[in-house]
Amino acid sequence: MTMLPDTYTIFWREMKRYKKSRSGILIRLIQPAIWIIVMGNTFASTRPLIQSVGFSGTYIEFMAPGVIMLTAIFTSIFGGVNTLWDRRYGFMNKALVSPVSRSSIALGKMLAISVISTLQSSLILGMALALGVHISNLLVIFPILLTVTIFSLGFSGISVIVAATSKSQETFWGVINFLGMPLFMLSPALFPLELLPSWLAFVARLNPVTYAVLLIRQMMTGTVQILPVAIELAVITGFVVIMVAIASYVFTREVNKPF
Amino acid sequence: MYAVETDKLSKVYHSGLKAVDEVSIKLENGEIFGFLGPNGAGKSTTIMILTTLLKPTSGKAFVAGFDVATQAKSVRQNIGYVQQDSTIDEYLTGRENLELQARLNHIPKDIRTKRIDEILGIIELSDRQNEAAVTYSGGMRKRLDIGGGLLNMPKVLFLDEPTLGLDIQTRYKIWEYIKKIHDEFEMSIFLTTHYMEEADKLCNNISIIDNGKIKITDSPKALKNALGNEIVIFEINSEIKLEQLVSEIKKLATVKDVSTNGSIITVFTTSGDQLIPQIFQQASSLEIKIESISLTKPTLDDVFLSHTGRALREDEGKYDKKKMRERMRRIRA
Repeated sequence: MTMLPDTYTIFWREMKRYKKSRSGILIRLIQPAIWIIVMGNTFASTRPLIQSVGFSGTYIEFMAPGVIMLTAIFTSIFGGVNTLWDRRYGFMNKALVSPVSRSSIALGKMLAISVISTLQSSLILGMALALGVHISNLLVIFPILLTVTIFSLGFSGISVIVAATSKSQETFWGVINFLGMPLFMLSPALFPLELLPSWLAFVARLNPVTYAVLLIRQMMTGTVQILPVAIELAVITGFVVIMVAIASYVFTREVNKPF
Repeated sequence: MYAVETDKLSKVYHSGLKAVDEVSIKLENGEIFGFLGPNGAGKSTTIMILTTLLKPTSGKAFVAGFDVATQAKSVRQNIGYVQQDSTIDEYLTGRENLELQARLNHIPKDIRTKRIDEILGIIELSDRQNEAAVTYSGGMRKRLDIGGGLLNMPKVLFLDEPTLGLDIQTRYKIWEYIKKIHDEFEMSIFLTTHYMEEADKLCNNISIIDNGKIKITDSPKALKNALGNEIVIFEINSEIKLEQLVSEIKKLATVKDVSTNGSIITVFTTSGDQLIPQIFQQASSLEIKIESISLTKPTLDDVFLSHTGRALREDEGKYDKKKMRERMRRIRA
């Protein structure tokens, strides 16, 4: 089996490209930074509302997990766009005529996207800590970032699916923007589920982002309980496994068609 | 066993376009084979089938002895494919690009470094290997692309228009590399090109394809000889008795073929110096005045045009629009 080394080859290439795009790394942090600084302060006075549903910290502390997830969602859902470049500029054909399997190419890309997403999110987490966000224990940084990595793998799957089926940049960005923002908004990233109208709360509970936000928030505040965490992990894992499987399948099917 | 062998290979796209129509070719081991044809003739589709990027609709194709449809993985282990457009990662260095290609081709770790050094030597990029490829000139990029195709020492190397868009100096250099590679590694090379000169210089055999069909296959020399050794081109003052003159010339023993373009007449012949006086004789008996006359040797261009015609391709306009759109997209990006 050459699946693992092949996946690593593609991963290696994507990471090399990421490392060489230093300006991109910083540019992609501007948006979440604005969210955390501007939105975090704009809604600072909602603290009593949040306290009423049992969250004791400030609003910035409440929304920090949301912004970490915002970074994770958008870094990973945008990440697949280079699939389109690769197909147009021939790298894809180069990989396709080599003995590397099609699903290794998809998996390598997804792994790289989720690692990049984790790196970007860790910078935002660092920024949140610098802005005075308090976390229960510094060691929870690791399970938080692990959650981000696993979750991003699922979203990179979405990105790869859309990129593999799109024939143009325009289609890709259209679909991705249509998906990304609602998935972020329909979650407790910015506001507690308990305070949402019941139909919105219902929709939010169908959204995997919700479970990742809740999990990270519980880890940050040190209010982890076995049952909710088990449910959250189950939902996230299920989502990731399904997305990765669909992405490998769709990618393999699409790249065998003429571009 | 042939390096490449196809039997009635056909590809019909969803749009109904029959891009490749019962193509049968044979490429001997160690041969450089030229695949020539106008835009949209089916060259790219054929190469994509042979490199396992597309599945044929019908017919068979074997590369290095393996069936492209059922043994794709074995085919991929035995070929190198240098695409028309550059496929290098600009942000990676030249060496990293080769490293990536070596990994993709499962070249064992212990020989990877040595092999890359060797290839860098052949393509004369050793001194610039650690610079980002974005700083490379067009010719250097092409050399790097060709180097990538050689890394796994393939049995069959596919070169899709290797000198497209390169200056004359670079083109000669690339030809040198291709010859060197061919001599040193005894690879079979499948080459597509628009440049007849290139096919003439490099290829043992060529096939001319048009509208998906093979028109003719032979060595460049035999193809040129088939047209006659020499060409007489002359211009007459009036086209009134043109047809009469042409039919008279066609009767002459040394004439192989005659074509006309307005008042210019092209005669393919085995013996030009004997033919010229005869042409004058015929012309004066028909009271036609010859304005100018010249004697040349046929080139592969003439062979190409005699098999594919002079008319621009019907889809030429569409093709250009597509290219243009693609270019626009690149500019926007």
